[in-house]
Parts: sequence; C-alpha cells; structure tokens
Amino acid sequence: MITISHYLAVGAVLFTLGLIGFLTRRNLIVMFLSAEMMLQGVAINFVAFSRHHGNMHGQVFTLFIIAVAACEAGIALALFLSLYRKKRTLDVSVWQDLREAGIDETTDAQPLTTTPEDADPILTKAGIAPKRPLEETNV
Amino acid sequence: MRPSEAPLILLADTTDNALNWTVLTPVVAGALAIWYLLPSPQKRPLFGGAIAGVVALAGLAGFLLQGLGQTVPATVEAILFFGFAGTAVLFAALMITNPNPGRSALCFAMVVLSTCGLFLLLAAPFLMAATIIIYAGAIIVTFLFVIMLSHQNGPSNADLRSREPVLAVGTGFVLLATLLVGLQRVYDNRSVESVISESIQLAASEKVDSEYLTVRKDGDMGKPVELTPRAKSFVSRSKAALARMKLAAPEPGDKALGWDIRVRAAENAIADLERTPFKDSDMDAIRDDTMTIAASLTYLKRIREGGIPHEGVTLSPYGQVRQITKPGDNPESFAEQPPEARSTPVLLEPDPDLKMKKMPSANIAALGRVLFTDHLLAVELAGTLLLVATVGAIVIAGGRREHPR
Repeated sequence: MITISHYLAVGAVLFTLGLIGFLTRRNLIVMFLSAEMMLQGVAINFVAFSRHHGNMHGQVFTLFIIAVAACEAGIALALFLSLYRKKRTLDVSVWQDLREAGIDETTDAQPLTTTPEDADPILTKAGIAPKRPLEETNV
Repeated sequence: MRPSEAPLILLADTTDNALNWTVLTPVVAGALAIWYLLPSPQKRPLFGGAIAGVVALAGLAGFLLQGLGQTVPATVEAILFFGFAGTAVLFAALMITNPNPGRSALCFAMVVLSTCGLFLLLAAPFLMAATIIIYAGAIIVTFLFVIMLSHQNGPSNADLRSREPVLAVGTGFVLLATLLVGLQRVYDNRSVESVISESIQLAASEKVDSEYLTVRKDGDMGKPVELTPRAKSFVSRSKAALARMKLAAPEPGDKALGWDIRVRAAENAIADLERTPFKDSDMDAIRDDTMTIAASLTYLKRIREGGIPHEGVTLSPYGQVRQITKPGDNPESFAEQPPEARSTPVLLEPDPDLKMKKMPSANIAALGRVLFTDHLLAVELAGTLLLVATVGAIVIAGGRREHPR
C-alpha cells in the first residue's frame, strides 16, 4: 500500500534536486526553475498530508504556493529582462560585485571548449519551378 | 521521554542493518550521477553518469519498496505511483544537468505534469488542473519567452559551467540522506512488529519456563533463576519498541483513547520482567506480563497509525485488542475477562480504511468551503500579493529604452 511516507520521500528528492540545481547552475532562468522545483516538492508534501489527515487544509496551502509562485515568476522574469538589458548575459557571475565585502572574486580558470556550430543546410534547386497563377484582387 | 532512552531506539534500528543500504545506495549513486552530469568545461562521456543515474533510480525504488517498513503490493495505485514518481525524479535530474535552458524548461514541464499525476493519486483533482494550467501553461511558457528573448549564440559561461559542483552535490545529498533516514525512523515499524509477534509466541508457548528462564539442574527446585539471553534481548527490544512508540504520543486532547494507560501498563510489565531473580511460581506473572506487552504495543501502534475505534472494532484501553462481533459491545476490563480470552489475544489485521481517512467527494466544493471560511484572510492577502506583483513586474520591465552605457 502506498502510504504518506512514500510521497514524502518523493517530495524530499524533488526538493533536494532543486536545491542542488539552485546552488550549482549559473543561468538565472535555470536557477529560478530549480527554486520552482523545490516548491513542487513541498507541494507534494502538503497534498500528501492533506490526504493523510482527511481534510482540505493542505490543498489550500498548495493553492497559496501556486499563487505565490505565479507572483514570483512575474517579478523574477521582469528582473531577468532588465538585468539582461544591462549586461547582455544571463550569467549570475557577472553580478558578483554584489558579494560580501572581503571575499575574493571568483574567476573561471578552465577555458570553454567551443563546439563548431552546424552550418545552415543549403538546399539545391531541383526540377522546374511551377508557374504561379497571377494573384487575383478584388480591390 | 527520558533522555537516556534515546540511544536504545538507535540501537534497535541499526543492529541488523548497520550501513543502511536502502538509503546509502540511492544517495551515493545519485550524488555521483548528478556530479558527473552537471555542465562542466571539460567534456565527460555520458555513459558513466547514465549508469550511476540508473543505479540511483533503482535504489530509490528499492527504498520506497523496502525501506519504509512495509511491502508494497502490485496494485494499480502502486504502478501509477511509481510511474509518476520515477518520471518526476528522472526529469528533475535532467533539468538541473541539461546545459540548454530551453530543454531545462521543457524537463521542468515534465516534472510538473508528473507531480500533477501524484496530486490526482492523492485525491486532489482541482490542484492537478490548477497546477497544469498555471505552471505548465503559464509560467513555463513565459520562461520560454524569456529564453527566446535572451538567446545567445555560442558557448556561454552561464550554461556550460557549474558553481562548486562537488560542494553543492555533497550538501544536497547529505540533506537527502537525512530526510530519508528520518522518514525511515518515523515510518518503519518493523522492530515494533517483531517484538509484538515474539511476545505473542512466547505467551502462547507451552514451555514458557524453558524459553524464558535458564534451565535448572535437578534438585535445585525453588532456587532463584535468571532470564535466558533470548528473553533478555526480548525485554530490551520491547523497551526500545515502547520508547519508539512514545516518541509519537498523540495530542493531549486524545488522551481519552487510553494512550497513557497503555504506556503505563507496558512500562510496568517490562519493569516486572526486569526484576530478577525469578522464582518458580512467577511463571503466570511472566506470561501475563508478556501478553500485556503484546496487547499494549499493538494498541499503541494502532492508535499511531490513525486507528481510531470504529464500528465493529473496539480498542479498549484496558482489555485485549480484540474483535468485537457486535457494535457497541464494550469489552470488560482485563481482569474480568475469562482466562481463555486472556490467553489468546486477537491481533487485528491493519485495516486499509484506517490508514487513510476519507476525503470529501466533491473536491472543488470542499476546497472552496475551506478556502472561504477558514482561510478568508489568506485569500485576500494572496489577491493583494498578486496585484502588487503585477504592478511590480510592469514597473521593473516596463522601460523600453536601453540602459545608457
């Protein structure tokens, strides 16, 4: 039988993966998605407790989580757009001037390996171009 | 609970499974997989990470099947649960390891859809619909728009590098191990169940004296005798089981259920068994004590699992845990019961209806009623928050002109 503990375990895994994503990724958007995934883990916990206790309070809390997540998404995406306008990148590390005083700047030691971009395919013409009918206008 | 009882609980759980493989396997393999797959300037072959990831998923399934103290039969519910949970966890891992933010957003959409499946299994259809509409429909599409607006060509620091992958993965998976072990401690009742079944065996056994007390030599009748090692371990394990049960005492309002009476009865019985040396004439007392332990632990366990007395079954705080044929047939106190009823405790099979309480059938109506009676102020505050967020988003992103350089 699937009990509440199984759902709590799945919620814990989602929360942890979101936490790791938030800590390691440097793209602002992926960081924000990771934070949303932590909220999903918590939402599973709330709904599972709601089922366990047989009342609706847990589901109400999840509804509020969704509302707050929507607000968060709106504000955060507006912020990302204005940050992108200033520095032309979504990398958080370009904003590390905001770090605590007395901490060294982190630099990226290893160079990025550039993968050659695939060139756009060029289509060779084949066959005879069909005659197009004249466009009819009623103007 | 006295502080000195805490080590007993740890002992009771860790003796037979010192390394706790059900937790260790998914955590270690998962940490390896995530560390291996996270974006990094030097290219790693996909192979190793995939193997570790598969091992971690299998380990997690093993934890869910075995680590929580009960076997999961292959019902439709279980199959759906494992399908949705596996999809959610797999795509969550893909989301945080994929270097392409657009694909990350799509993986997140899959996580949200699987979570919605879990919501449906948990009898929350409205939340399922709301989550699909708001998360998968609105939030993720907005994300994709932003990714499109800020798309950049070529490799970027943002997508191909990770910040402190080793430390972050270590932090996350230590947290996960803590949570899983915590769940195991709370929900794994196998140590309690083994104590209960052993005490029933002992009490029903014909040769309680030879199982319980050291064998006497001929001619030593009447000489004080000691407990056998097996009986000693039984006593210490039942002590640990009782301490484990006491960790989860019900709320003070539920005292009428007889929690305290049962706890005291079991404590007295255990103290009685510890009172060595025994005399020959103590056999009946030992048998009674063993049965009291069995009955008390069963009763406490039932209450802990949410087993409130319901029609047809009565859990009397004084008497045996037994099945009552007619509803409303109150059991007499333990002492007043006939001896044959005392010697054969009927242990109730766990009733599936008791583990999960019933939910209201009209989900949306019930949700609305709770929302607009108990949480009215919170609804108003959430509305205000949405309004403020809308204004804030427009103010922050509204400026059309570029920032002066």
